[in-house]
Amino acid sequence: MGFDGVWEVCQEEKTVNREDILNEIEQFKKEGRKFLSESISGKLLASYGIPIPPACVAKNVEKAVKCAQELGFPVVLKVISAQIIHKSDAGGVITNIDKKEKVREAFHRIVENARKYNPKAKVEGIYVQKMVPPGREVIIGVVKDKQFGPVVMFGLGGILVEVFKDVVFRVAPIDREEAREMIDEIKGLAILQGVRGEKPVDFNSLSKAIANTSRLAIDFPQIEQLDINPVCLYPEKIYALDTRIILE
Amino acid sequence: MQIDLEKTHSELQCFFEPKGVAVIGASSHPEKIGHQVLKNLREGGVFSLPHLKGFTGKIFPINPKAEHILGLKCYSRITDISERVDLAIICLPARLVPQVMQECAMKKVTGVSIISAGFGEADSKGRKLQEEFLGIAKKAGIRIVGPNCLGILYPPQHLNASFAPFLPFSGKVAFISQSGALLDSVIDWSVKDNYGFSAMISYGNKSDLDAPDFIAWAAKDPYTKVITLYVEGFSDGRYFLEMAKKVTPIKPIVALKAGRTATGSRAVGSHTGSLAGSYQIYKGVFKQSGVIMADTLTQMFDMARALAYQPLAKGNRLAIVTNGGGSGVMCADYCEELAIEMPALPRQLIEKLDKSGKMHPAWSRGNPLDLVGDAGPERYELALEAVMGSEVYDGAIVIQAVQTSTQPLRNAGILVEVQKKYKKPIIGAFMGGVISEASIKYLEEHGIPNYDDVDRAARAMWVLMEYGRYVRRRKL
Repeated sequence: MGFDGVWEVCQEEKTVNREDILNEIEQFKKEGRKFLSESISGKLLASYGIPIPPACVAKNVEKAVKCAQELGFPVVLKVISAQIIHKSDAGGVITNIDKKEKVREAFHRIVENARKYNPKAKVEGIYVQKMVPPGREVIIGVVKDKQFGPVVMFGLGGILVEVFKDVVFRVAPIDREEAREMIDEIKGLAILQGVRGEKPVDFNSLSKAIANTSRLAIDFPQIEQLDINPVCLYPEKIYALDTRIILE
Repeated sequence: MQIDLEKTHSELQCFFEPKGVAVIGASSHPEKIGHQVLKNLREGGVFSLPHLKGFTGKIFPINPKAEHILGLKCYSRITDISERVDLAIICLPARLVPQVMQECAMKKVTGVSIISAGFGEADSKGRKLQEEFLGIAKKAGIRIVGPNCLGILYPPQHLNASFAPFLPFSGKVAFISQSGALLDSVIDWSVKDNYGFSAMISYGNKSDLDAPDFIAWAAKDPYTKVITLYVEGFSDGRYFLEMAKKVTPIKPIVALKAGRTATGSRAVGSHTGSLAGSYQIYKGVFKQSGVIMADTLTQMFDMARALAYQPLAKGNRLAIVTNGGGSGVMCADYCEELAIEMPALPRQLIEKLDKSGKMHPAWSRGNPLDLVGDAGPERYELALEAVMGSEVYDGAIVIQAVQTSTQPLRNAGILVEVQKKYKKPIIGAFMGGVISEASIKYLEEHGIPNYDDVDRAARAMWVLMEYGRYVRRRKL
């Protein structure tokens, strides 16, 4: 797997390479941080051909407005701060922003919420991301096992993952065919195939995303745990909405 | 990862067909393990049972203080023996093992089983001793089983090189067990149940040889048709994965993983981390490598028996033939849960059976094919011939309740004959006790596995279908 994925973000650099990501990971480790920021996680995923909704990092409110306009409304704004891991708990996520003025308002509110939540928190910027319509939600994950090394997980995602625990594992790396076997193994497969006239999800893109995540886990042994939850599935495409990467 | 089944098999062969065996720490006191191991080698077991025979190769007790033990000449040390010795079994306190290993190296022994405990599992002193003997063994090219294990039993050669109580019957199933005591229980049970083993392996601390090495050996062992495995954990998970991937297209592996409810000990910071219990991961690993997972010991040996004695099914379409409605329905329930298909009886078959004039007017004309309670052997034969000869079915489960018209032994004979004729799998579910006993024995002696409950029969048929599907897919 090369780094030929497209970074679907309105940043100056459209492509990323392994060196850049490794440098950023090293920088995070040096600073004693365990969680990779969302913008880097997003870059990493995109470089492995796992689509994420178009997004950009805004350092000031006017940049945020400009980004939102370029991405197209509605958008979601998320805080970027090393000190804030649970963004929602900190009031650091505002969704369904559908016009310019609301971007400004949300920007200021997030900065303020972050200060209130943790006065020591340094806000590095605001992540502006295109809102995608609701889809069927799954989780793709990676964890390092003592006996088997990196293993990849797939299952029903969103909040259901904690209730049904409908997940399966494989030792990484796996190919697309093996990824497809994982999908076929979950109990909730019918949900992905579509019930009551619903169209099936894009199984090809999903298999590819699982296989590529397993490859990513091998290429970056610095990663201890990884959650892409949810991955939103549609009949013709998929989007990784939220990624959490924990370093060794 | 380089995997060479042939090479591993020949390297480990000294543990199974040794030319000469030395018991280091042999004792004349019956309560000592050093005595029991020697007796096991000599007589096949410390208990006497009619099927037991001793190992016919050379056995050398090593004990500087005794002249003879169990009628065998004793040697002070292994280097005093002039004949060839390729296997040494050590039953000495841990602190003496490195010194003895050195002597084994001098004698050019190729395999050493260390029964003794008190090494890596005990304390730092034990770990140091383990490192020490491993260093010596590695340099001399000696492979190690154990320490802290029962050792190895190889019934086809009447070799009980262990302190397990006695040899089981010789059979086609190899059992590789991380637990020694579990192996003991299985042996005792197996003789009562007429269940045979090609090999039994207890590998203890796996200081050198681990389960994957024995899987490689068993893959090339001519007596072994099925490999069963009880595992708590591997030293190198990826080695197991690669080994299993290599072996399962050749021979089936059925495995039981203990520690189902134990949650992983890792620090949890993600959903994936919190869901990744070791059992969950093993489940994935087994799927990935074509290993069949069993939930219980009974399941594991039930499936292994079917795989050892019946041909694989070419598809997953099953016929159930029964003389009792209830057990037929129950069996169908279990089969459905296992995604086994049960196609309806084709019309020509129904007509054929109707025309025979032998069926009860109320016979089911469906699948399960209910022969009705007064069915004699004629009806069993007619029905079983019909479904086994049909293109619609890939195998049959035959249920028998002992009723007033039932002739168990004749029915058993029919199963054996029809199976031979059509070469599709048949699983028996002759349910009962005193009256069916002889017929069940007949079935099993003629290669038809029988189970006293329909859920067990259903799972046995499932594994013939499931593994059959796996092998076909690997061949594509």
